[in-house]
Amino acid sequence: MARTIISVADLSIVFDTPQGQVIAVDRVTFSVAHGEFVCIVGPSGCGKSTVLNTIAGLETPYSGAVTVDGRPMQRPRPDVGMVFQQPHLFPWKSVRKNIAHGPRMLGKSRSEARAIADGLIEMIGLNRFADAYPHTLSGGMQQRVAIARALANQPRVLLMDEPFGALDAQTRSVMQDSLLELRERIDATVVFVTHDIDEAILLADRVLIMSAGPGRILRDLGVDLPRPRSNAIMLDPAYLALKKDCLDLIRSEGRRAFDQSSAG
Amino acid sequence: MKRINILVGALSIPLFVVAWEVIARSGIVNAVLFPPPSVVAVALVEWVRSGQFFLDLGASLYRVVTGFVVGAALGIALGVLTGQFALVSSLLSPLFHILRPIPPIAFVPIVILWFGLSETGKLFLVVWGVFFTVWLSTHIGVQKVDRGLIRAALMLGTPRRQMLQEIVLLGALPYIVVGLRTAISISFYTLVAAELAGAFAGIVYRIEIAQQNLQTGQVMGGLAALGLMSFIADRLFAAVAERTVWWR
Repeated sequence: MARTIISVADLSIVFDTPQGQVIAVDRVTFSVAHGEFVCIVGPSGCGKSTVLNTIAGLETPYSGAVTVDGRPMQRPRPDVGMVFQQPHLFPWKSVRKNIAHGPRMLGKSRSEARAIADGLIEMIGLNRFADAYPHTLSGGMQQRVAIARALANQPRVLLMDEPFGALDAQTRSVMQDSLLELRERIDATVVFVTHDIDEAILLADRVLIMSAGPGRILRDLGVDLPRPRSNAIMLDPAYLALKKDCLDLIRSEGRRAFDQSSAG
Repeated sequence: MKRINILVGALSIPLFVVAWEVIARSGIVNAVLFPPPSVVAVALVEWVRSGQFFLDLGASLYRVVTGFVVGAALGIALGVLTGQFALVSSLLSPLFHILRPIPPIAFVPIVILWFGLSETGKLFLVVWGVFFTVWLSTHIGVQKVDRGLIRAALMLGTPRRQMLQEIVLLGALPYIVVGLRTAISISFYTLVAAELAGAFAGIVYRIEIAQQNLQTGQVMGGLAALGLMSFIADRLFAAVAERTVWWR
């Protein structure tokens, strides 16, 4: 087993709401090895995004220990990149300048940053749009730029929070395939949050299934499907067996939660 | 359909001027109090020829431009401070919200007591009128900056002390520009009040003098000049704004 790069130990997060305290994340523990692609799946409100934000250093304080590369996460760090559900591109910057923003902030010269940006623009296939402004791009193109922008600082860890959740089904499947391709070429550990089981199994080496109220991890499932993969794998018997496992687990958990709430 | 709209649109002002001329000359109205456009035009030409017009125009423009620039600069600076820092906002926002609704014109009497008929008093009125509008729009703009952009910038290693110049100011710019545009017409309102209160030169001052001499042609010429100034200022600003908020 490769060495651990992300370690989440006994992570709990409690939110204060007008209705009282809500346990968003309940004693979650897992670790991610260098180079691994891990998906966290679960229903909305299960705390999966909160876990991701904690690894990003955006969610403090928390109880438990969350470290990346052995150092506790207390604030955002350039070695941890993030892609959000919305692209959040800077509307006043061109595609190239959006991607160059990170390197510039880390003290790279204008020409170095530009070279990094141009390399990434080439990689995401948006050469024709290097000088375009975000509002002129489609949703899928904007999200590609957001991915390139997050990669520009060469993060050791790339966090993705339902990055394809706001896209239509066709664009989403194209984006999944290009992420799979991209992944063969970059050396980053990825944690990817989604509520779509197909997306999780397609992309991941490991799937963590979370349940809601309070958010905890139900199952840590290895995805032993060959790479390189593409959307075509979704008809493979091994894939379907894995999917059935996941669905059974989620269904029984859903029933348990339902019985519990009707009994209580 | 479209062509006829353009045609009627082009005729709008000429038709109005002709109707005005006919009515003013028909004897239905008193031509001394309601002179026809031809008389107004002659009065304007004489005003320009005497050389007085450009002195008046210069005096008024100086007041509007200086007052606008100072008021806008103060408004943006304090709007950023109150929008960004809760403590500054707690200290200043209640005060500003109490002072803001008082029409700036109501300050004319006290301004005369404080500054007499000096230029300082006139600038004070314009600055006062411009400041609150620009302050409020900047304050709101800074507060409404998309949190997602700030989180994205943080994840990319943007230092907190650079957040203002990199994200907040540009994010708030569309709001600031709207505030500045409103402030342009306010600066003209307050100019009128300032010059009516007593001056030695200025477009509005000249309107008042002409009124006292029953030179209604020049009164109307002054109004036209004032309207044109305000119109040009607004259009110029709209053109500048389009380039400032280039990503829209």
